[in-house]
Amino acid sequence: MVRNAWQRWLDRRLPRARQVRLDQRGIFILPSGYGYLYLLVAVLLFFGGINYENNLILGLCFLMIGLFVVAILHTYRNLSGLTLRAGGARSGFVGGQGSLEVVLIARRRGHRALWLRWLEQTAQEVSVERNEETGLWLNLPLTRRGARRPPRLRVESRYPLGLLRAWSLVALDQVCLAWPRPQQGAECPARGGDRERRPAPAAQNGSEEFRGLRGYVPGDALTQVDWKGYARGRGLNVKLFDEPASGRLWLRYDLLEGVPVEQRLSILCDWVLQLSRENRPFALWLPGAELPPGQGDEQRRRALDLLARHGEAD
Amino acid sequence: MARIYQVPSHARGWLTLAIIATSLPQLSDGPWWQSGLLLLVLGWRALVDRQRLALPGRLVRLVLLLATVAATWQSYGRLHGPEAGSALITALFALKYLELVSKRDAYVLIVLGYFVCATILLFHQGPLAALYVIGCLALLTASLAGINYSDTHARRRQHLGVAAVMLLQALPLAAILFVLVPRVAPLWNMQLDSGQARTGMSDSMSPGQVSRLTESAELAFRVQFEGQAPPPRQRYWRGLTYSYFDGTTWRQARPPGWSDRDTVYGGRGPQPDWYRDLRAADSGPAWRYRVIMAPSQQRWLYALAVPFTDLDGLALARDLRLVADAPVTGPLSYRVRSVPAAGAGATLDGAERELMLSLPEQGNARARRLAGEWRRRYRQDDALVRAALDYFRQQPFFYTLEPPPVTGDTVDRFLFDTRRGFCEHYASSFTFLMRAAGIPARVVAGYQGGEANGDYLQVRQYDAHAWSEVWLDGRWQRVDPTAAVAPERIELGLRQTLRNLGADQDGEGGGAFNRVPLLFQLQQWADYVDFNWQKWVLGYRQDQQRAFLERLLGAVTATRIALALLVAVLVTTALLALLVLSRRRDDPTRPLEREFRRLRQALRRRGLELPEASSAAVQSAVSGRWPGAATAAGHWRRYFEYLAYRLDQEPSGGQLRQLARRRRALLRALGR
Repeated sequence: MVRNAWQRWLDRRLPRARQVRLDQRGIFILPSGYGYLYLLVAVLLFFGGINYENNLILGLCFLMIGLFVVAILHTYRNLSGLTLRAGGARSGFVGGQGSLEVVLIARRRGHRALWLRWLEQTAQEVSVERNEETGLWLNLPLTRRGARRPPRLRVESRYPLGLLRAWSLVALDQVCLAWPRPQQGAECPARGGDRERRPAPAAQNGSEEFRGLRGYVPGDALTQVDWKGYARGRGLNVKLFDEPASGRLWLRYDLLEGVPVEQRLSILCDWVLQLSRENRPFALWLPGAELPPGQGDEQRRRALDLLARHGEAD
Repeated sequence: MARIYQVPSHARGWLTLAIIATSLPQLSDGPWWQSGLLLLVLGWRALVDRQRLALPGRLVRLVLLLATVAATWQSYGRLHGPEAGSALITALFALKYLELVSKRDAYVLIVLGYFVCATILLFHQGPLAALYVIGCLALLTASLAGINYSDTHARRRQHLGVAAVMLLQALPLAAILFVLVPRVAPLWNMQLDSGQARTGMSDSMSPGQVSRLTESAELAFRVQFEGQAPPPRQRYWRGLTYSYFDGTTWRQARPPGWSDRDTVYGGRGPQPDWYRDLRAADSGPAWRYRVIMAPSQQRWLYALAVPFTDLDGLALARDLRLVADAPVTGPLSYRVRSVPAAGAGATLDGAERELMLSLPEQGNARARRLAGEWRRRYRQDDALVRAALDYFRQQPFFYTLEPPPVTGDTVDRFLFDTRRGFCEHYASSFTFLMRAAGIPARVVAGYQGGEANGDYLQVRQYDAHAWSEVWLDGRWQRVDPTAAVAPERIELGLRQTLRNLGADQDGEGGGAFNRVPLLFQLQQWADYVDFNWQKWVLGYRQDQQRAFLERLLGAVTATRIALALLVAVLVTTALLALLVLSRRRDDPTRPLEREFRRLRQALRRRGLELPEASSAAVQSAVSGRWPGAATAAGHWRRYFEYLAYRLDQEPSGGQLRQLARRRRALLRALGR
């Protein structure tokens, strides 16, 4: 109840955005554990000064308190003006970790010893000097398939004196995709080609016909690069093969009838990985989505993303 | 988060320096083994850092700890109390450094450091000590800044810079708190037993005792008068009275059977009769002044005759002097109103009168005979007193700091044989003569005179003096036989007198300074600073704060103080926030751009607008308009371009200064 109210309040105050600049709306500040100890020492010195009727010890105590107040300003200043932008994303399988990039931009001043973490994760420390940008990849555990929005990012700093911690809870509008966890399936849920549902594990390039070369494009499978030709100085090319005579291989969702949804996706995922490893072309059909035939890393990624997004409204 | 956060190497230097600096005063005051311990720890750590030695195990640390505790016990005989406590905490501070690994250890170390700073201030309270502690605080703060910035390419110097800036900004807040936070009385009593023997008066007087004091130029107390100060011959600062004589030594005494209740009134309980009588006679002109005592480790205080105070922490004694409730171990200041006429309220009856007439049964027969002769000749007491003073004036008595030693019947030997003496000889023999003639008399010890410095007087140990008081016309009257022998002692002070006598052998102390006017002037200035420090910083206690706040706020009430405190702190913090968070301070331009901008502005002032901002454009425009400056412009441009485009890193401070020199040379060339 309280937690929900707190979340709602946070969402109103610090709405999710691609880019967030920290200011007084978003920065909270409280003494750290050491800060409380420091204040305790100051109070003890105060009593010492009173009891020994020693004005200089009182002065020391007051100077410490003054320093504490000044530290509030400096700690706040260390976070104030820091801009965070949602950067790239690296997807991962369910049960593993994805990671998201947060770009820290320091415009007016340096921001030192910043601790960044998603709630309940190990923090990473980073400093950004003035007029600099730094990208920081933060891991995110993936527990459920689909697009995963990270929790609020906690940006904390105790610089310069460690007496106070200033923090902000930043909601960056970025998404990490969780691919289904691959699961071995007995039969390949594929249709097409020679109607054989299970391609020969030993299926080699020999079963396909060499058609020619074309220039390498990023995303092409490295196994298909004509390395011999590259070594002879003919440039980076990719060998093209004709589709096997048997025709295209369509991985189909509907061929796994009677299997629960998530498991179906896991089995499909496993096959996508296996086919990509073997560098075989394939296509994917899901209810409401379809991936035309292709091969290589790009095809693999697209297939995995499609599997990850299956069933989502958008 | 099970990471161990190590202390970054760039913070270690400051931490080490902070430890050495904060321990240093204790090392110089305390027992020798403390220096040994710190050296051992520092050496061990240095070897560990070079990987020659392992960090000590738990057993070694335990042994070291026990040894430290044992050594403290050995040196002080206990573990509590300020001295032993300071020694112990400083030792623990060093030991903690030995096991410093993680950030948490560093935090503990720094917290201990604050306590060590406080112990420095227990024993050293001068302005220099305060500055030193601020320096230590800067080092501790730099260490904090260092351990909180674990970036490997952090630079060492920037930590101290951060600390210095923050401390400077904290100072106004500290000052506000210092002035406005109400001082309260001690919650429980803690006395410093810094058994350092100080020079000063003692509770008994035997021949030679006061003259020893004159070798010291140490400050006894300072006095600040409200309005005119009395002339030197009236400045008799009474401290003690001696009323019992055993033939050699004069001592403090009170009639048998009397207790503190009969002789001292501290403002609590019903007023005794003698106090009421004195108050009743409280009329006529008065001197108002504040006395700032140096620590004397004694309870007696100094004031002009018949001192009245608010009796807060002090008491008035029946023999018209002030007594502190506890020995004066730190700077103490008190306000006094001295009313000479109030002496008429004193009484002397019965046992007390007997005490003031008492003499040893035997001895000093010649002096007794002389007194008896005077008694027969003069009926009136005051005539007898005058005759005695004439005797001192007319017989060949000499005033000297180095009287020949006398034994046996000291009064007789002095009066009739040696006739060379210092004030205590004169006071002692005069009082003896008076008592022998049947006039109640006593010896008073204190200081006489004082040197003006600015708006206050300094009274030093060499101003120590002893004189007599005799009971005449129903009151105690001051009689100073020394003034009869050496009037200049009273008018000019001891040092001048000795110089006139050509006997200035006082090589050390104050004497040496007199011969070098500049040094003397410096000494006076230092004392002036010290006086104001004592008065405004160390002596800023309850009553002074009250007086000051009354002037500041009109009336001193809890609400007003709280409100003033709140407003002052908030306003200062807001100003500091403006300073800290202002955009102007975060000028994003690089030093080279600033340098370029400065040149463009300077040229614009000379009427040259440069629409295009490039170094080449600057050179050509300058050369076109002032051909004489073409060479200088070329120099500037070449160096600017070298720094801007050739150099891989940011230009150093020296290179920027070089560029600024070339800019100034260029601007100078324009004028020609």
